[in-house]
Amino acid sequence: MDHLAPILNLGGFRLDLSALFMIVLSSVLVFVLARLAVRNLSVENPGKLQNFLEWVVDFVKGIIGQTMDYKKGAPYLALGVTLIMYIFVSNMLGLPFGVVSEAHDAEHATFLGMQLFVEGNPEHLAFTWWKSPTADASMTMALALIVIVLSHVQGLRKNTKHYLKHYTHNPNIVFFPLHLIEIVSKPLTLGLRLFGNIFAGEVMIGVILGMGFIGIPAMMLWLGFSIFVGAIQSFVFTMLTMVYISQAIVHEEDH
Amino acid sequence: MEYAYLAAGIVFGLGAFGAGIGNGLIFSKTVEGISRQPELRGALTATAFIGVGLVEAMPIISLVLAFMWAR
Repeated sequence: MDHLAPILNLGGFRLDLSALFMIVLSSVLVFVLARLAVRNLSVENPGKLQNFLEWVVDFVKGIIGQTMDYKKGAPYLALGVTLIMYIFVSNMLGLPFGVVSEAHDAEHATFLGMQLFVEGNPEHLAFTWWKSPTADASMTMALALIVIVLSHVQGLRKNTKHYLKHYTHNPNIVFFPLHLIEIVSKPLTLGLRLFGNIFAGEVMIGVILGMGFIGIPAMMLWLGFSIFVGAIQSFVFTMLTMVYISQAIVHEEDH
Repeated sequence: MEYAYLAAGIVFGLGAFGAGIGNGLIFSKTVEGISRQPELRGALTATAFIGVGLVEAMPIISLVLAFMWAR
């Protein structure tokens, strides 16, 4: 059965309510997790959450150290920790359960009195209210755009001459169209990779649910694999962030 | 004419083909590296899975497109 997203039509601007709620929820969850981890900080006797957060910070320090000299990359540690924690929590949110509401037809599909947007007029409507925030393409593309715009702006600010020379002198002006394509393809693939992995995982969960009782071992396997994929994709996103930033700001050694 | 299903099948079939070959290349080099230096097994396996995450980006995008067309 095709589950629709509850979309509000605000004068042409279509707002996905479930994505809005889930983004707010995952932001609140990551914030609460981080704040709980830094309560009662202690050097000799760290609690479990403090240990966990220290491990995450060390891990991201290792990622930054792999791609650039850590002294240049130290300002981006907070960005890296935020990205990896937020994307990991977001990827895990859509796995445990789903919340679906039903409506008889298109006219009765309302939320707090506001009409939800439905194309055509199908008979039996079902809206899903709980999903991973990263299963929404607009959310992952927003994250990718933040990161890519940051890398361009930092490249222009810190490394202006080499950053602009990188387009024409790398190693020859003949390669310029390839660099133009790279400007477009970097944010696209960064965002769509994360979106595709999580969205395809959720669609597969829906398919396995339709199989009934036989699907129970299949569901266990698929949920385990989805946890693995969620962790790997959060790590890949953070590492690619650091790689793109290092490509923009660390150019002196090449020339 | 109902070409949407055919398009979805072709797109995802070719994507799966590419993903299979790409992952196979990654893991063949990983196994060769482990056989040369067994003590680096953990680091090599971790790097292999990161490579899988990168290689599978385009086939996963083709999967999303196939889902969009085969509704």
